[in-house]
Amino acid sequence: MKRVVITGLGAASPYGAGVVAYWKGLSAGVCAIRDLTLIETDGFRCRIGAEVAGTLAGSTRRTRADRLAIGAAGEALADAGLAARDRSTAALIVGAVGGGMLEAEAWYWRPTRDGARPRTLRAVLPSAHAEAVASRFGIGGPRHTVVTACSSGAVALAEAAELIADGVVDVALAGGVDAITRICFMGFNALKLLDPMPCRPFDRDRRGMSIGEGAGFMVLESEARARARRARVYATLAGHGMTTDAFHVTAPDPDGDGMVRAMRAALQLAGAAPREVQYANAHGTGTPQNDRIEARALARVFGEGGLLVSSSKSMIGHTMAAAGTLEAIATVLALEHGVVPPTANLVTPDPEVPFDCVAHASRAAQLTCAVSNSFGFGGQNVTLLFRRGVA
Amino acid sequence: MTERAEVAITGVGVVTSAVIGDSSALGAFLAAPPPVDDVLAAGAVAALVDPTEARRLSRVCQLTIGAARIALRESRLDPSMGLGLVVGTEFGDLASTHAFADGFLARGPAGLSALLFPNTVMNTMVATTAIAVGAREMALTLNAPTVAGELAVTRAAAAVASGRVPAMLAGGVDELDPVVERELAHLGLGAEHRGEGAAFVVLEPRVAARARGATVLGEISAAAWRALPARPWGVGRARRSHAIRVALSSAGARPTDVGWVYASGSRDAARDRWEAEVLRAALGKKALVSSLGQQLGRHAGLGVLRVAAAAWTARSGLLPLTDGTARVEQVRPGRGLVHGLARGGAHVALVVSAA
Repeated sequence: MKRVVITGLGAASPYGAGVVAYWKGLSAGVCAIRDLTLIETDGFRCRIGAEVAGTLAGSTRRTRADRLAIGAAGEALADAGLAARDRSTAALIVGAVGGGMLEAEAWYWRPTRDGARPRTLRAVLPSAHAEAVASRFGIGGPRHTVVTACSSGAVALAEAAELIADGVVDVALAGGVDAITRICFMGFNALKLLDPMPCRPFDRDRRGMSIGEGAGFMVLESEARARARRARVYATLAGHGMTTDAFHVTAPDPDGDGMVRAMRAALQLAGAAPREVQYANAHGTGTPQNDRIEARALARVFGEGGLLVSSSKSMIGHTMAAAGTLEAIATVLALEHGVVPPTANLVTPDPEVPFDCVAHASRAAQLTCAVSNSFGFGGQNVTLLFRRGVA
Repeated sequence: MTERAEVAITGVGVVTSAVIGDSSALGAFLAAPPPVDDVLAAGAVAALVDPTEARRLSRVCQLTIGAARIALRESRLDPSMGLGLVVGTEFGDLASTHAFADGFLARGPAGLSALLFPNTVMNTMVATTAIAVGAREMALTLNAPTVAGELAVTRAAAAVASGRVPAMLAGGVDELDPVVERELAHLGLGAEHRGEGAAFVVLEPRVAARARGATVLGEISAAAWRALPARPWGVGRARRSHAIRVALSSAGARPTDVGWVYASGSRDAARDRWEAEVLRAALGKKALVSSLGQQLGRHAGLGVLRVAAAAWTARSGLLPLTDGTARVEQVRPGRGLVHGLARGGAHVALVVSAA
């Protein structure tokens, strides 16, 4: 199997466009969760979320999610220095959930509100993002869109890694994207999973999650190809694991068995011992149940203590299909900079979480190996294991 | 991803208006296809699941679980040995999404259903099916126009061939939705024949299937997916198919070896014409083409049904013609091609062989 390295990063996050803004915000521990402006929040207990700030890339005729994807994908391709010829055979794997739902909702809502039906319904389906990105950047290799709920962005990276490891392609663009939508906001409200205040993962008094939006993309290459073209290598995606709980549609298996199997599969593929992993970018949603079960699963795999654990969602909210990729980018940048981004809003550590969750401020740490966890509705678990540079 | 280990088909499950059953039922239908409706009868869907599931699950989830169970039953595979799941869909559970939104529009926040919300996420069919059949390995939902079913089989075959997963259930599902039909008509795409249903195949390494005494219904000798240049939701001009070239090459086949094709034609005139040109450029004019979508209506399950149908043709040497004559043509058994080409350029080719 070919070794897979990361040679390009792109982000559109609640800190604005670009990886530089993303890392600056994360490493400074800035919480970007604020009052929502994109959708109506009247009558709901929670009225906050993390919206992408600033001007979006792409035409205003495209959906917001397409524009987020185009911005992040374009940055990743430019960062990797991929020419048109490289792109023509590259794979494109996109993780998505909401598709163009934000615009579709407005279209669907309007007849109820004022009796008019807008003339054009824009691209609604999750697969629209891959088509928009492929068309914009001339990507002609294998293309598919994965929907595994909140782990979609991480699955996209794992899928791309398998394509490269198996020799189907030498290079792939992969990532996740989601815009805030009314249905997502209303649904998590209906499930009573949203905290009216910015979320507090791993805090004893946590009350739920905060929604967010964004896009993250990575360029993945075979190590041989990256070496041959002397590309800058951020990290090696040394292992991944994908498992399913087959337990409940919205609740994780209380023993965390599926999560444990995903983490162990990533370790096995990477040939890594648990003690080698120094940092886990947790799924860390801030819901009482999820954080407790994830902590239990982490302890089963890595042992209590030792590991540094933090949740990017404490700062950028839960960016849904983008979360798996944006958090993988955070993990790669933590390895690159030797800095663990913090868990914001963590005041009283939960005694049931036997880890240092890096409260408030980032921490300098010489990291060589880290994992990023993503877990979705339906018990869809993914763990990505990265090693610093070319491992 | 191309072939490495031989991938055997050991189970088939089909739930459509035309046929409900395993590979035997599908073969009987293909050998003498009667006229069919596009919409599944309500009673047929309800019979697929137990009453508790019928109350708890949306219709599209019931279709999915019903077809998956039929396929698994035919394969006699034990899911606890390691089973993954890939489901292709174009529209997911739109009916639940509409119902969820309608609740809010009618009654505001008080009208929102916490039970319906998970169904608004497209992986709900995978989530419920994984629980129903005990699939605990990788489980993916693939979303694509037109070719989601073929793509699911291709992805699952790759997982089996690579040895990452011991066995896979690969399926496709869609249901007809009045809002979608109305808007497609509004966009000028209403002439396409659309249908609904679910279909699954069970895939496992041939060696493992033989070792446990399973009946091998056919093999996926090679599969590949690429993209042809096209604007989103558009039809392209490129005819040179990398997917077909890679699939044939991986199967050790020449274009002239392909005597028959199951194509994705579905009365979408521009897309069907494009597919015909791509096939002609890759295979020449001799291959006989069957487009079941012309008769059955296109949905993501049909892509999987066509793979199962190809295994039947490879065994029987019979190919259902889809020119409106309801005839079956004698063809060279052995191996043929399943081909899918979508608006937007997603493109899949599988070489299916007799066991």
